[in-house]
Amino acid sequence: MRILLVGVNHRSCPIEVRERLAFRTEQLPEAYAALRRDAGLAESLILSTCNRVEIYAGVPRLDGTHERLSAFLSAHGGFQDAELRSHLYACADPQSVEHLFAVASGLDSMVLGETEILHQVKHAYEQARSHGTAGKALNVLFQKALNAAKTVQTKTVLGRGCVSVGTVALEFAQKIFGDLRPHTVALLGAGKIGEVTLKRLSARGVSNIRVLNRSPERAQRLASSYGGTAYGLGALEAQLLEADILITSASAPGYLLTRAQAAAAMPQRRHRPLCLIDLGVPRNIEPAAGTLENVYLFDIDDLQGLVAHHASLRQQAVQDSQVIIQQKVRHFLAWWDAEGAACGSGSSSALAAAP
Amino acid sequence: MVIAHTVCALLSYVAFLVAFLSGALFLVQERQVKRKRMGWLFRRLPALGTLDRLNLLAIGAGFGLLSLGMAFGLWGSRMLLGSRWPWDPKVLLTAVLWVAYLTLWMIRIRSTLRGRKIALLSILGFSLVLFTFLGVNRWLPTWHAYL
Repeated sequence: MRILLVGVNHRSCPIEVRERLAFRTEQLPEAYAALRRDAGLAESLILSTCNRVEIYAGVPRLDGTHERLSAFLSAHGGFQDAELRSHLYACADPQSVEHLFAVASGLDSMVLGETEILHQVKHAYEQARSHGTAGKALNVLFQKALNAAKTVQTKTVLGRGCVSVGTVALEFAQKIFGDLRPHTVALLGAGKIGEVTLKRLSARGVSNIRVLNRSPERAQRLASSYGGTAYGLGALEAQLLEADILITSASAPGYLLTRAQAAAAMPQRRHRPLCLIDLGVPRNIEPAAGTLENVYLFDIDDLQGLVAHHASLRQQAVQDSQVIIQQKVRHFLAWWDAEGAACGSGSSSALAAAP
Repeated sequence: MVIAHTVCALLSYVAFLVAFLSGALFLVQERQVKRKRMGWLFRRLPALGTLDRLNLLAIGAGFGLLSLGMAFGLWGSRMLLGSRWPWDPKVLLTAVLWVAYLTLWMIRIRSTLRGRKIALLSILGFSLVLFTFLGVNRWLPTWHAYL
């Protein structure tokens, strides 16, 4: 018994190809039936996400399976077989096993270490099981792959966010307020980085959004795209009383918010915590404001420093993850070889490798 | 009666312990945030807002339980001893404790102070709890000696 993989991912082909190859849930019953009928596969599993379409198959012998799977994918996407060949990668165990373990752990993802892929792999596995196409080989393979991914998640810092200024700011805001949804965020200024940060907060469910800008049109445009309210710059003092998170990313020669202003606002805010995220260069908020009680000030250097710090941690995490994955792959292959020996059919020795 | 008195009093001490712990953790986490440290403690400790809410809840519950415990105590002493107000050091200290936590509760509810200062006061308050609970038995004559 061999474990074969044929597929495409975000590196091997452009989105135009991936979107034609992707399997929608309602297409899966027919696809699994076709794999069984036309490709003659006893065990198969389709992993279709926005960044990859891969078919894993358990076959007694390799002969011709690769070609049959490639033809199946070409037919599914409406390609000429030769046209798709250049985008496809195909391999058998042990490479296919290593590949799956790396995929499930997020090491093969566009955003390194993202954890959504783990859920997608799990979902694909459940789908295959419900269609009755996951036999002994794929069952054990996917359970081990999910287990490896969970170990990587818990034992390394691979999946921890902090990839951008926006995510670091978001982490801090969450550690100050807990649930961000009931809180109010105000964005001051038109800087791109400020908008990106606002976008992150909005994606996290902050719905009470105010946008302050010198140009009312721009404020209005930004506010409406996030379902917020637009104000002029003059509204800063009033907003300081209402907002919990104030993001500034304006280009201004002096401070737009001084320590004295913040100090005056705090008793009126009844000392509710105030998170100030200053993304302006030169800075928009007087640094001494951060020394006030219940005021938490982060400037662009604080946030970028942490992003850089996390980048180096992640580099280390990649190495740690690879060690974990190699170990888990070895375990699986040892079991696999023993199974193969017991069944009297050989495994190992790769077919082709180009992931 | 005595059981209700004891149970309420002990539960109020537990609540004050929770207030103490949430206050202490608040101070630690606040330090991480202020110093922009995203280390082990930062990741594992709850959010400041969560600790603050827990602290408020614990102070409120502790105060309520303490009041209830004192009421049972007064009622019991009146029934058992016939005296209206048992002038015991522990009772006096508990009265102080009651006033202290009432003040702390009011300060927090009215948001006169928040955050770090409330956390510090919760820790200070709990040292008074410890003295009332343990210290009195050791150093002052009392009817409440059972430890």
